[in-house]
Amino acid sequence: MSVSRDDFSIAFRSALLQRGASQKFSILSLIIVALIIFFLDVYGFTAVKTARSFINDVVYRVTYLVSAPTRLFPNINQGIANHFNLKKENEKLKQVIERYKALDLNLEYIANENKNLKKVLDTEDVQSVSNIVLAKVLVDRNSPFLKSIIINKGSKEGIIKGMPVTQNKYLIGRIVETNYLSSRVLLLNDLNSRIPVTFDEKSTQAILTGGGTRMPTLSYLPEDYEFVEDITVFASGKDGIFNAGTPIGKTKANGEVKLFVDPNQLSFVTVNLIKPKKEVF
Amino acid sequence: MIRRNLINRIFASGPLILLYYLSISEVDTNLEKLFEVFSLNSQIIIIYFWIIKRPSLMGTEHIFFAGLINDVVMGFPLGISSLSYLVACFVGNYVRNKSVNTTIASDWFTFFIALILTNLLFFSLLNNFSEVVTSYAKIGYNTFFTLFLFPVFWLLFNIYQISFLGNQDA
Repeated sequence: MSVSRDDFSIAFRSALLQRGASQKFSILSLIIVALIIFFLDVYGFTAVKTARSFINDVVYRVTYLVSAPTRLFPNINQGIANHFNLKKENEKLKQVIERYKALDLNLEYIANENKNLKKVLDTEDVQSVSNIVLAKVLVDRNSPFLKSIIINKGSKEGIIKGMPVTQNKYLIGRIVETNYLSSRVLLLNDLNSRIPVTFDEKSTQAILTGGGTRMPTLSYLPEDYEFVEDITVFASGKDGIFNAGTPIGKTKANGEVKLFVDPNQLSFVTVNLIKPKKEVF
Repeated sequence: MIRRNLINRIFASGPLILLYYLSISEVDTNLEKLFEVFSLNSQIIIIYFWIIKRPSLMGTEHIFFAGLINDVVMGFPLGISSLSYLVACFVGNYVRNKSVNTTIASDWFTFFIALILTNLLFFSLLNNFSEVVTSYAKIGYNTFFTLFLFPVFWLLFNIYQISFLGNQDA
């Protein structure tokens, strides 16, 4: 019995403290270092934050370069497929143009009406649309636990935590981490994402909750609410972070929202340099 | 002779290069686009297999740095992946010290223990010390697929080992 206990302790100690020919540090010492780094990072010491910001910038750039070959292959594939689908796409685009022409006629009327209504409500201090930053997606590595992307603009461009991020004026997420030259955007379908939204004729209020799946869901709805398919969901702006009326997606019968922008297909996004009216995080 | 040495060194660095590449690049073994629940922790498999078979190819310092890089790319608190990788490394070392000869079945079973300990540490630290919320279902799927596909990787790595490094266990 005592022999087997000795065996156990020898093997255990050896596994923790042994250093091989190519190993300069034992596992125990590295575990201690990793724990120190972890707690320094979690409890947010300024020096660690600055160091992390610098490391992030460097690593994101390297990741972008290293991932270049993997980005190239799908593009070639897509290029060939696009070439064969050209005619079909052309017809589709013609139809879309026709639809947009029809919509354009209504737009001027709606814009004027909107302006007049805003005058009535005395809310003329709408933020400038030119106050945006166009950013390229550096890394969109898919994690099962975090749905986020890295963009190539950071605090140097005036980006701060909480700013809304859009693509083609459709909301895709918000800034959760800023470095000097890069930022991390938390996407709407992430488990940590919660956004106040409004939709349908009654201006129903709800919270758009990310579930880590492709489509976020609507929660905190009025009692006995019945979902109707294909209704556009907008940001309500009640959190003081997102612009009211930013389109997000269309409802589905099961309460999920099909986002206008596929979170897996992002290449360029715009950050709206609007200071959140209240502290985020 | 020098050329052969160089080629041997490149082959010997293969697992480490793969580990670093998976940590730093956009390439992931998380095929959610094809199958929503599928996700895989391939780094743990690489570390565990090579620590058991050829520990000289996997320096613990490299494992530590690969973990740090993975944390930066994924947006996790720094050091958390390093810790989980080092735990897998520790279990692998212990198993190697205690066993004379290993089979795919014995490695699979001990990998299960390593994976449970690794994930337990990773997610308990993540849940208690960071603001990142994780879904337990996702953790379950990730653990299941990582465990389920371990023999496939075991066979592939074994073929690599026999073909390029010589059939010599640690």
